[in-house]
Amino acid sequence: MGNIFQPISAEIIKTIDETPNIRTFVLRPEQEVPFLAGQFIELTMPGYGEAPFTPSSSHFKRDIIEMTIMKVGRATGALFDFKVGDTVGIRGPYGARYPLEKFEGRDIYIVGGGVGLAPLRALFLALTHEIDKYGRIFLRYGARTPDDIVYKYLIPEWEKMKKVDIDLSVDVRDERWMKKVGVVTCLMDEIPCDEAKSIAVVCGPPIMMKFVTMKLLEAGFKGEHIYLSMETNMSCGLGHCGHCKLGPYFTCKDGPVLTWDQVKDIPDPFV
Amino acid sequence: MSIQFLAQSSQSEWIESLSRDATLFFPALTKDQVHWQCLDPATPGKDDDAPWALGHIRAAEPVKSFFFTPREKVAEMPGKLEPAAPGKRVLFGAKACDIVALRVHRKMYLEQEFKDEFYRGRRENTLIIVADCPVPEDSCFCNLVHGRPYATDDDRDEGDVALSVVEGGWLLEPLSDAGDKLVALARTTPATEAQLAAREASRQTAAKRLAETNPKQFAPDTPARIWKRVQDDAFWSRHAADCVECYGCLMACPTCYCFLLYDKAKDQGMERTKVWDACYIAAYARVGGGANPRAEFVKRFYNRFFCKFSHFPTWQKMPACSGCGRCYKVCMGKIDIRKVLAEV
Repeated sequence: MGNIFQPISAEIIKTIDETPNIRTFVLRPEQEVPFLAGQFIELTMPGYGEAPFTPSSSHFKRDIIEMTIMKVGRATGALFDFKVGDTVGIRGPYGARYPLEKFEGRDIYIVGGGVGLAPLRALFLALTHEIDKYGRIFLRYGARTPDDIVYKYLIPEWEKMKKVDIDLSVDVRDERWMKKVGVVTCLMDEIPCDEAKSIAVVCGPPIMMKFVTMKLLEAGFKGEHIYLSMETNMSCGLGHCGHCKLGPYFTCKDGPVLTWDQVKDIPDPFV
Repeated sequence: MSIQFLAQSSQSEWIESLSRDATLFFPALTKDQVHWQCLDPATPGKDDDAPWALGHIRAAEPVKSFFFTPREKVAEMPGKLEPAAPGKRVLFGAKACDIVALRVHRKMYLEQEFKDEFYRGRRENTLIIVADCPVPEDSCFCNLVHGRPYATDDDRDEGDVALSVVEGGWLLEPLSDAGDKLVALARTTPATEAQLAAREASRQTAAKRLAETNPKQFAPDTPARIWKRVQDDAFWSRHAADCVECYGCLMACPTCYCFLLYDKAKDQGMERTKVWDACYIAAYARVGGGANPRAEFVKRFYNRFFCKFSHFPTWQKMPACSGCGRCYKVCMGKIDIRKVLAEV
């Protein structure tokens, strides 16, 4: 093992504007970064800092990594000025992967909000790549407005996949929107799978995660079957620096995906 | 090798041999405090004014400074930074509490999935001679965190030689294989029964003093008690009332392992620096979007106790505290861990 703080170089080979403030960066790292769905990468914006992001591409695709990123702070603000051909840095992968072997034979109920669909896409692609291993895949996704939906151009293709069931909602509709209106929990009044046996996977803003988790528990999902992407200040990615401590966990090492059973005793885990 | 006696008359010769191929640091008494000082063989006489303080408590500086440095460049782009080959060093006169602190850092930096090669390089190239602590101060409480004021065979993971000051010289007990080689460089004789008895008496006096200062052990269920009080802001606020948020306790703490990585632009790329960090700092846990799970100081105050005395003991079977008392010594509000934990 060499210097664990040193990133490798990655070239931005394409960018896709998903929404006015969310962009997908397609990167070609100088060497393979063998991540598995659920793990994250530390992305260096040279000169501006480093921040953790979960890849949104399939882990079966090794030569490139896609990351869908929302512009929220200093480093991500700077990243949006990077162009195709520019170089960024990558460290990782870090954290725990989704335990896909525990998902086999079960229905998977995925709930995403906003840019939270990005890490869930990596999971979705991993599941659909080997769809025969799993039950049905339900994807419930909510965004603020139709314009804020990420992967708009991919969702119609996903809807055609076998064993996949997708439903979308927006908080505020426009004149073209024909689907549901409301926060993502409005898609959860009827959950078409066996809650006691199914797996739920949730990623989105903390407040959305909180209410989705409550709804899932109410519906009968077991705490050990609810996988949540916890948002903490993951800094080093190595489990060394202490910043991401969430109760007894270093989320960069033990997470960022933790089950409800793991976090339920932590006061306000969704801050 | 058995415990050896090194007469006063042969000590300089041994120190000279130790510092021939390594940089030797020793605890020097400056005014009323002990500070680590470098013995520079190139300038003999330079250190004559600073008396060696082997018989005092630990140095003011936490021993981690030698391995986990306060500020260090750890990466760069373009290019690749690799840890520089460290020079050999001898820490002559660390204390048993320093050894405990290094054990915490070993667990954090060398025994997890990812190993810190900067730390490893420095640690593996440093030999440590642990001097007994014959006169613990009132701020010391190693006896409350399973420690002792002297090193034993159990400390061979971090200590190389245990040194005890006795009449006419030092007793040297090799702890590690490297310690055997260090002691072999000295012109020694096997320790006599009387010298061993004197060492034991001195050690027991120190242990008795600690027991008198800190007579009541922390409750065995302290980790659980702390966790139970996770939402008891009134309790933590009461103990935090005198804190001025100077972070001195965390900077002086030899077991605190937190750090911050920050990048700055350099030429066409970046330079990454690793600096000590402190969980009392308001922005410590803040995420990119601005949310902060520990925005209130009371939550950060709790986090320190939770980290050291609840999470780490549950996870690593030892508290992340060496009982060195530096936190109390530097604290302007005189917040005493012992008092907080006694009431938790």
